[in-house]
Amino acid sequence: MNQAKILNLVAKLKHTNNIKPRKLKNYRGPEGRIAMLQKSLTALLKYERIELNFNRADETRAYAEIFMSQIAKQGSQNQKSIDMANFWILENQIIYKLFNVLVPRFSNDVSYTNLYHHPNVYPGILRPKAILELKNNSFPKVSSSIKNQSSVENILLKESHKRHFIDVITQ
Amino acid sequence: MESTVCPVRHVPPSSYGRFRNACCATLRFQCRFSSTDSQKAAAQTAAIKSEWRRRRNVIFDNEKQRQQSEIGRIEKVAVKYLPWDKDEAPIEMRMNKHLSTPYDCTKHLTEDYTKTVCLALVDRRPWDLQKPFEQDCELELITMAHSNKSPVVNTAFWRSCSLLMGCMVEASFKDEIQVYLHSFPKPDLKSGSFTYDAVIDLPDWKPTQAELRAMSAAFVKLSNQESFMERLEVSEELALDMFQDNPFKNKQIPNIAQNHNGKIVLYRIGDFIDISQGPMVGSTGIIGKATIASVHKVESNETDRLYRFQGVALPKGTRLNHFAWSVLEKDARKFNDLASVTPVRESVTSAPTEVVSDEEKERSSAAN
Repeated sequence: MNQAKILNLVAKLKHTNNIKPRKLKNYRGPEGRIAMLQKSLTALLKYERIELNFNRADETRAYAEIFMSQIAKQGSQNQKSIDMANFWILENQIIYKLFNVLVPRFSNDVSYTNLYHHPNVYPGILRPKAILELKNNSFPKVSSSIKNQSSVENILLKESHKRHFIDVITQ
Repeated sequence: MESTVCPVRHVPPSSYGRFRNACCATLRFQCRFSSTDSQKAAAQTAAIKSEWRRRRNVIFDNEKQRQQSEIGRIEKVAVKYLPWDKDEAPIEMRMNKHLSTPYDCTKHLTEDYTKTVCLALVDRRPWDLQKPFEQDCELELITMAHSNKSPVVNTAFWRSCSLLMGCMVEASFKDEIQVYLHSFPKPDLKSGSFTYDAVIDLPDWKPTQAELRAMSAAFVKLSNQESFMERLEVSEELALDMFQDNPFKNKQIPNIAQNHNGKIVLYRIGDFIDISQGPMVGSTGIIGKATIASVHKVESNETDRLYRFQGVALPKGTRLNHFAWSVLEKDARKFNDLASVTPVRESVTSAPTEVVSDEEKERSSAAN
């Protein structure tokens, strides 16, 4: 088998996609599914942070990752990438934004999006919700990771660590 | 037989004593048909203990009432609450002078505040949640999450744990054993454990693992009651009157009063009253995960039966990996050398498995 591995030829993503495509139920069938993805992909690039049902957000994320990585690789002059952008993005000014703003911004990054679970509002439709956003956007952070170095447990563990090393040295 | 008798309450009988079945049978028999002298004496000491406790509470209540009735005409103070978030606007509150406390202010905010706030800063000075305002002031409220902004809350937490341990020690010994609470050293988080010294009328007590577990359970039970830490300043004479039954506290009170303008600060959890300068956290509900790790006998000029109880605890809502927790527990078992007292012997308590292994080592060395 002198064949090259196909996996090596395809750009590798840092973000793992679902292998099975999700069924985004639609009365128009597969065509409607693509229309849905076009719509949310355009919205993602336009607003940079959107709120969706989890299924749709996760699916859009997979498409966005592949789409952005290929365009970043091929560059804005490539006819293939221009065709792809024309197909997936519904508004012309967003295509302009993609090539002139987003691709330079993400040139060094490994993955382009963040996905967060979003709590349901009660009472309401209790479907799993999600927030999908482009990285490095100008909004305040969705989740703040508070690292309190002087919390009780951190102080106790730090001192324990010190004592352990003193014991090791004295032995 | 003596070694099989467990001094601590609520210890499952399976964990000690080879003759437990026989003992239990005889005990049950005695309870049903006759009561021995020792049991009578135990019941008597229990009655005396509870009577002292009740008396202390009555005096506390009366003094509190007296202080409140002394206020007379109620005046107002302007309390300016400053939120930690700089974007939020400060809130002005009109509170009652010498009556309203920071805890009352939290009730005007949201329910979250009443549950999570541990300590207040009044004009940048640490202030108990149950201590009334004295003048117009600026108020800040601290939860355990704000320990990076004001580390005083960690010390208050550790001190409250010590106080609650005193409560646990007093309640968890059987009636026939005399227990006097002695004191607790200045809290130091860096030492790895909070402590309480108590005089227990047992000559050479080594707590078993089951006894420590029973004490930890009693501690957690007390903290789950979520009782407030009531604070009261009293005069030296009244404090001496309250702690007449405790010879060690009786000795300490004049010294403390001398250093603090003749005033003694009392704290009450449920019906347990103790002396401390404070500040304490608002309620015992702040304490989450806790373990009573060890008890060491310490040397003292006053008595030869002074024991140091050591424990470790975390605030409620803290998530800690069980391995990290076991490391903290292991650390808390080591003798905590606060206030430079010396242990009578090294490492009194350790896991029973280790004890067995030591014995085995001795045996094997003897055999060799």
